[in-house]
Amino acid sequence: MTHLIRAEWTKLFTTRVWLGLLLGACVMVIGFAVLLTAFAGNPESGIPAVGTPVYEELAMANAVNVNVLFLILGIIGMTQEYRHRTATPTFLTAPRRGRVVIAKLVAYALAATLFALVVLAVNYAAVAVHAGVRGAAPALDADNLGTLGSSGLALVIYAVIGVGLGALLRNQVGAIVGGLVYLFVIEPIIRSIPATSGAYKWMPGGALEALTATFQGPDLLDAWQGGVLLLGYGLVAAVLGTFLAVRRDIV
Amino acid sequence: MVLGLMKPDAGTATFNGTPYASLPQPLRTVGAVLETAFHPARSGRNHLRVYCRAAGLPLQRADEVLVQVGLADAGRRRAGGYSLGMRQRLGLATALLGDPSVLVLDEPANGLDPEGIQWLRGFLRHLAHDQGRTVLVSSHLLSEVEQTVDRVVIVGAGHLVREGSMAQLRAGADGAGTVLVRSPQADRLAEALRADGTGVTRDGDALTVTGRTTAEIGSRAFAAGVEVHELRSRTSGLEEIYFQLTAGREQFSAPSADVPSPEATR
Repeated sequence: MTHLIRAEWTKLFTTRVWLGLLLGACVMVIGFAVLLTAFAGNPESGIPAVGTPVYEELAMANAVNVNVLFLILGIIGMTQEYRHRTATPTFLTAPRRGRVVIAKLVAYALAATLFALVVLAVNYAAVAVHAGVRGAAPALDADNLGTLGSSGLALVIYAVIGVGLGALLRNQVGAIVGGLVYLFVIEPIIRSIPATSGAYKWMPGGALEALTATFQGPDLLDAWQGGVLLLGYGLVAAVLGTFLAVRRDIV
Repeated sequence: MVLGLMKPDAGTATFNGTPYASLPQPLRTVGAVLETAFHPARSGRNHLRVYCRAAGLPLQRADEVLVQVGLADAGRRRAGGYSLGMRQRLGLATALLGDPSVLVLDEPANGLDPEGIQWLRGFLRHLAHDQGRTVLVSSHLLSEVEQTVDRVVIVGAGHLVREGSMAQLRAGADGAGTVLVRSPQADRLAEALRADGTGVTRDGDALTVTGRTTAEIGSRAFAAGVEVHELRSRTSGLEEIYFQLTAGREQFSAPSADVPSPEATR
């Protein structure tokens, strides 16, 4: 198993996909941090002023805005095997395919943990500098560290969901487009329509929102429930993906 | 199916009695080239290192097999920029990583230039004869297969058509054991040969003689003072044998079913 996990890391770090996604995530998170801080305290934006606990919670949870890139990291990790037909040599090397998918899940969870730490550090640095200029850099107290930690955890779970989703769909472009449409179109619609917003708290986005900061949000679960639910989605995608990868013929 | 990538409708395939998926170290037992599959942005060397890691092999195996297939200089370049022949070599290198005793190659000569085909022929012979590995090749290029293989399995429309060595297949083919003679005086030669009851059939200036060696026919022609332009025993090529064996079977007219797979083992 260790062999297979290390093979996945070799695969990940011998192309430049990881670098692009990590740099993209850093740039995005800096952008969001600057925007959030710039509009903090502005009555029209509705964002509380720098130095308030709500602002700090939002700023520390800012990293979850790049969840889509972690989802894509997981999707590419799995679907590249099908896109470039390396599934054949991969499954020839490890004929028990369930082990390959599990190795991928573990390898990407660990790699995503590393990337998430980088993103969190960049996020904190950007917030600390900008908010510091505007008067009050958030301290790394227990509350803020907790929010940072849970947003990092959310990023890792999204990478795991990506691997599972990739195993389900196998088509790289389809899985990425599907993931984007879901995150940026379907969930926001469900969230905003009163008739369906009750269901939102049970969806991955609702779970994510519960796990991290809430901002004029609808009815949500408790943070720990959100975390468990999000993890559950990741595991369901992984188990389904494993099951299908084992059953399907490789052509 | 042999390698456990697809589920067969019925039956099993085993290597030394073990199904592929149950082999404890599949790469060390069986090396396979099915299609040249690699990530285009990854170098050939890194591609091989991935599978070294996955199979628990030392990483220097990647460099060793690159030398073996003649890719040592190209190993650090992106595999996406490889020529078709280099891709085939990289596939072969992947199969050799685990130093397996059995190699399974699907259409290894596909897309190779004449030099590459000659290299492949020599390389496969080297692997089978000098290193004692079993090499199983599937191919549509019958004349190519004929030059390389020791044993042939002809599969058509999902059924076994014939199996044996090239010599056995030739012996079983139509026209085996006959000699072809061409002569501008075919009539006189036929007469001379028929004198002792030898079976001769004539078609223009060509005679097909049954039951005599080329030497016997040559000396008979010399004695009769007949000019001879060609004298050879008739042997059928694999392609000819294939068409003889599968001729008249309706299922072979279906384009999708027409999949001859002569295979070779050591």
